[in-house]
Amino acid sequence: MAILEVKGLEKQFGSLEVLKGIDFSLEKGESMALIGASGSGKTTLLRCLNFLERPTGGQIIVNDNVILDVSSQKTLNENEIRKNRLHFGLVFQSFNLFPQYTTLQNVTLAKELLEKDTEDYKKNKKQVLDRIREEGKEILDKVGLSQKLDDYPHQLSGGQQQRVAIARALMLHPDILCFDEPTSALDPELTGEVLKVIRGLAESHTTMVIVTHEMKFAKDVSDQVLFMDQGVIVERGTPEQVFEHPTEERTKQFLQRYFEEK
Amino acid sequence: MDNFSAVVSSLNGGILINLQLFFTTLLLAIPLGLVITLGSMSKFRPIKWLTQIFVWIIRGTPLMLQLFVVLYAPGLIFDIPMSNRFLAAEIAFVINYACYFSEIYRGGIESIPKGQYEAGEVLGMTRSQIFFKVILLQVIKRITPAMGNEVITLTKDTSLARVIGLTEIIMCAERFTKKGLIWPLFSTGIYFLIMNGILTIVLKRLEKKMDYFRA
Repeated sequence: MAILEVKGLEKQFGSLEVLKGIDFSLEKGESMALIGASGSGKTTLLRCLNFLERPTGGQIIVNDNVILDVSSQKTLNENEIRKNRLHFGLVFQSFNLFPQYTTLQNVTLAKELLEKDTEDYKKNKKQVLDRIREEGKEILDKVGLSQKLDDYPHQLSGGQQQRVAIARALMLHPDILCFDEPTSALDPELTGEVLKVIRGLAESHTTMVIVTHEMKFAKDVSDQVLFMDQGVIVERGTPEQVFEHPTEERTKQFLQRYFEEK
Repeated sequence: MDNFSAVVSSLNGGILINLQLFFTTLLLAIPLGLVITLGSMSKFRPIKWLTQIFVWIIRGTPLMLQLFVVLYAPGLIFDIPMSNRFLAAEIAFVINYACYFSEIYRGGIESIPKGQYEAGEVLGMTRSQIFFKVILLQVIKRITPAMGNEVITLTKDTSLARVIGLTEIIMCAERFTKKGLIWPLFSTGIYFLIMNGILTIVLKRLEKKMDYFRA
């Protein structure tokens, strides 16, 4: 059963059509790489999944629940959007850590705020906070940052910041974790540590959608590759198929250009 | 010696008026500024325009003129003469400073990168949680230097209230000038220097308190 199904997703900014009917599905535990030139709509697609953009057409279905259906008359209120977007996590290109919080606080803040309304929190505030903090530490340990719990973002390298951002997203246990060019803002020597963390997540079968320009990484880490161009999915398949035996002319050109530049 | 103590007690009485005006203005203009900011950033166009026109008028005319308007307009227009001069000064100062503060707030809020809001959103925070837990402290850090400037200017602007007959410190000193004593007038500067010396230290401490993060 697919954990995520996207059907006919469209997004228009004014008269500009950025997504022209995107269909795909993703199995639980699968990781999908989204590749394509800048402006092909990859990032917009991720932003639609995370409700940062409002699609102008189509459906998003998670675990057989339709969480967004543009054609239905019902508009979602803020609370529903908040609840729905928690199916997804998003790691940004530019990290977007909260500068006034330590590494650990960055990871635990959202969870603490979510728990605040629960009965358990009202009764055993201290235990709940302790539990959240312990979980935060565990997750930070997984991304190799247990030595940096009390550092502030400006004291960390870009690679470390991005790993904190990954831990922050993992903390809410999203069904699908999305990455928007997670290494594009990093110095080349720092991309490795971030890619290693994502690779580890793939090995432990975290369901992921990864927008990336790192073709070798996409090939290694993904179960499924989508190549997008001008708002449509041009080609899809296993990494083998898309990278080794592309059938579409546009895919061939894109890959050729990419590997020539390297 | 008699002269000296008479001058000191008169000036002390005067500076009390300045201090009262200073603290009450600060207390009221800081929150009112936020209300004006909300207006000038409103998505509802008419409110946005009205607020912006209001800010333009207040920032575009002298505070001295505004003092006269607040003192005389109620009597001339509504036939309710403004009898309390301190209240008139208070109103003019609060409105004037709230407008300047509101522009500083707006600049601060707009300078926070969109990514900070989006990061909060994808983590399921509500809009008010994002504002109070993520954005606000960053804004405060960014606007502290500019606010410090305004606050220091305010200490000195309080002297303008003498144009509508408030016996603040410079007006007190001028009375001695008319009797041939010039040094009381010059020594009022000492009062302002002390006030602003203290303010400078307080503001430095505040900035230092927020030194632990970069925003």
